Amino acid sequence: MSERDEIDMKSGEHREAADPSREEQLSLLLTITMEVAAASDLASALDVVLRRVCEKTGWVLGQAWVPNQDGTVLECGPVCFCCGEGGLTKFRVASEGSHFRPGVGLPGRVWELKRPAWIEDVTQDPNFPRTKAAAKVGLKAAVGIPILSGDEVIAVIEFFVQESRAKNERLVNVIAAVAAQLGLVMERKRAEEKLSSTNEILQSILSSMGDAVIVADNEGKFLAFNPAAERMFGEGAAQTASSEWSHQYGLYLPDKVTPFPPDQLPLTRSIRGEEVNNVEIFVRHDKAPQGLWTRINGRPLRGSNGELSGGVIVCRDITEIKKEEFFLFDQSRVLEMIAANASLAEVLTSLVLLMEGQADGLRCSILVLNQDGKHVRHGAAPNLPAAYVKAVDGAPIGPRNGSCGTAMYLRRQVVVKDVLTDPLWADYRKLAEICGLRACWSTPILSPHGEVLGSFAMYRQETRGPHPEELRLTQIATHIAGIAIERQRAQETLRERDARINLAAESADLAFWVIYPEQNTAWMSDKGRKMYGFDSKLPLTRDLICGRVHPDERAAVHAAFDRACASHGLFESEHRLILPYGKTRWVIVRGRCLEDEHGSLLELIGVTIDVSAQKQSELQLQIQREEMSHLNRVALMGEMTASVAHELNQPLTAIANNASAARRFLERGNIDPVLLQQLLQDMVADSQRAGEVIRGIRALVRKDKTVVRSALNLNAVIADTLRLVSSDIVLRESVVITEMDHSLPQVEAVPVQIQQVLLNLIMNALDAVESRPPAERRILISTRSLNGESAEVSVRDFGTGLPKDRPDKVFDHFFSTKQTGMGMGLTIVRSIIETHGGKISAENAPDHGARFFFQLPAARGDSKSQAA
Amino acid sequence: MTSSEKSDAEIVCLVDDDLSVLKSIERLLASDGLSVRGFNKPKEFLSHVQAHSVPVAILDIWMEEMSGLELRAQLSGLSPGTRVIIITGREDPVAKLTALQMGVVGFFTKPFDDDQFLNAVRGALAMHPIE
Repeated sequence: MSERDEIDMKSGEHREAADPSREEQLSLLLTITMEVAAASDLASALDVVLRRVCEKTGWVLGQAWVPNQDGTVLECGPVCFCCGEGGLTKFRVASEGSHFRPGVGLPGRVWELKRPAWIEDVTQDPNFPRTKAAAKVGLKAAVGIPILSGDEVIAVIEFFVQESRAKNERLVNVIAAVAAQLGLVMERKRAEEKLSSTNEILQSILSSMGDAVIVADNEGKFLAFNPAAERMFGEGAAQTASSEWSHQYGLYLPDKVTPFPPDQLPLTRSIRGEEVNNVEIFVRHDKAPQGLWTRINGRPLRGSNGELSGGVIVCRDITEIKKEEFFLFDQSRVLEMIAANASLAEVLTSLVLLMEGQADGLRCSILVLNQDGKHVRHGAAPNLPAAYVKAVDGAPIGPRNGSCGTAMYLRRQVVVKDVLTDPLWADYRKLAEICGLRACWSTPILSPHGEVLGSFAMYRQETRGPHPEELRLTQIATHIAGIAIERQRAQETLRERDARINLAAESADLAFWVIYPEQNTAWMSDKGRKMYGFDSKLPLTRDLICGRVHPDERAAVHAAFDRACASHGLFESEHRLILPYGKTRWVIVRGRCLEDEHGSLLELIGVTIDVSAQKQSELQLQIQREEMSHLNRVALMGEMTASVAHELNQPLTAIANNASAARRFLERGNIDPVLLQQLLQDMVADSQRAGEVIRGIRALVRKDKTVVRSALNLNAVIADTLRLVSSDIVLRESVVITEMDHSLPQVEAVPVQIQQVLLNLIMNALDAVESRPPAERRILISTRSLNGESAEVSVRDFGTGLPKDRPDKVFDHFFSTKQTGMGMGLTIVRSIIETHGGKISAENAPDHGARFFFQLPAARGDSKSQAA
Repeated sequence: MTSSEKSDAEIVCLVDDDLSVLKSIERLLASDGLSVRGFNKPKEFLSHVQAHSVPVAILDIWMEEMSGLELRAQLSGLSPGTRVIIITGREDPVAKLTALQMGVVGFFTKPFDDDQFLNAVRGALAMHPIE
């Protein structure tokens, strides 16, 4: 930056010459100010300034520079004042071809510093790019003045003279004052220009807007009431008091009848200073007799000082949106009715009324096709004459059966524009004429599977086809009607099936249930609730149902249930239920998983069968069987009296004798202590022996609840049993021969029960041989292994044999060949063998006599031989 | 429990296949000062009879090898002078009747009264031989 930019006030004052006087300067200022104020734009104002300054000061050239559009450089403005020789135009041309960045040249310097600059001689100035041009025309001194609008430089003016001059501070001040004036004027003008263009834009927006815009001052006087507002509310009468607006413009609450409270009107509120958002108002007046819906937003208006100056509202016509909203709402209401199981007639009537409400002069009807698929039933037609409805109810469908009958028959929409001429209406023409019906368009109502459920028809009193909107309504109506009719049909079917199933279930003691594992909810038939002891209202869950299972079996039932769910398979379980108050029930439960179309688990359905009664009788039977078995053992004991008496008598005798002997030895006083000790030892041994006998008898006769199986060697059991009856065998002068297979596998069995079997067979054999001479009283007991998989025991006698026709009859109840027999021994024998998973048979031996033989499966882990 | 210094005429023979009963009766007899020879098997007794004189024999009825009554029958052939006392573990009127008909001098059902039994044995010993 050159030092010459500095304004040297002292030197300036010294060289003051040929400059305007103070008075002239003031007059200049006044003139310029007035002329500038009158100028219409910046260009003409600059023109005035350049000319006047040159005229009054004698400077020869005045030029103006203005920033270009993006404000990066100064360009030489079109306005210029030249006086004197035409040679100055060369400099003018040079200037016109230049532009300066901030700080460059005289204009650039002034632009950047925003204050005046003086150059005594431009030809000597290093920062004056136009030096050559200036030198050619003899320009020397120059002054540049900024024109500021606010803080912004809107132009730079420069003046030249053809002599070198020191800075004239006063001159600079005068020109600066003029420039400041110009700045102010321009500022005002710009603001005015801006305002007027904004206003125009706003006006045009307001007039073309679809939304109504109303602006009012704080007294309620309308400042703006755009055409849309006039369309919506009628003429805006500026003089109406705001308390009258609701009445004047027909403004109502959403109930359509209550006038909108004036103090709550959006405009009133916004004038009060409130922000109003989305207030819906129903509007009805002479020009809009059907009424319309508007949604209003309002804002208060404030002056620059922040004081309330009025309010503005923007109102949007939402009549169509509202209508669709109401229509949708009504549709959902009909769907709710369906969901709430309203009667079909109610649902269809609501649907028809809803459709009729969507268009003027529209009447509708719904017919329902009978399950026979051939005849129609009245569904709903609330606004058709009763006579017409009656005539149609029960009519058949077919290819020429009016609009509806034909539509259902052909399964497609049938549009009859004029029922009085259309051949389809031949049968109904008279009736239609009486009822004033002209056009009838009917559409079949189809189920999702394409099954015809009924028809939906639209009637009009003029002859025409349906409009697109009416076709849209038809589509909606048939869809909803389809849902309603199908649901009703499904429910009827369900009710019938339910009734049938319940009937079957009641009589079969069956409970039905469904468990939805995802939701943890469940359903159960009435019978089921009774069976499980659930109140009929209680919402069920899987856990509740499983909670009824007996604690001992609950874990197993849970596991089975989880298994079924995991594999989507079957569920089967027999368990006890514990009902409230402790009652127990035996049930068999069977279920299976159902999947949805994607193969994911939907539900587990199944039945529960109450088998308590069977279980009870089974238990009873079991008890009876045990009772009989016990009786049999007691009876066997009776038959074994010889053995029992003998077995007991022997040790008792020995004890008695030993005791007597000891007493006598002692009396005689010559007892040998060793002898006495032996004697006492023998007494102890014999009393133990007696105890063993009694224990054996008790074991056989005891009613044993806990029957524990153990691995048995049948050969050993046979030997034990024979010892038990040895006395009887001797007494009966019989001989028992044994042939034991020492590779006999062990069997899993209850020892006492197997002994009971053997005792029965042996006692029977002894009985059988009784009538034979003693030499022939033989019994053969043998064992053998059947491939190591089972053990067979055979008891063969040489007696009279079994009934020839059916040897197996001996196992029947109460079959007896003996005088004293109860006829239950062999029945019990068979029951015991079968309980052990074995089999017993009887046959007549080839020679003579009977043979009883039974097999018992080898104990697990002992399928091969085991030493006897 | 034999008494070798005594002559056969003083020795009572006892046959019972139940060892503990056999032993206890031997002791009872010994405690009363009687000499006794016991046999566990009827056949051993029969061979003894062939070589010795047996004044008194006490026989059990129910033995596996041979019944006491059968033994009595065989004994009467071998040693008709032997007085026989029968003991049995079972109340059996038929057997008793049979035994008495066979001429036994005593019949006792086990367990029996020791005095009566010993008196019967002493009485049998004191009888003159039947021959």
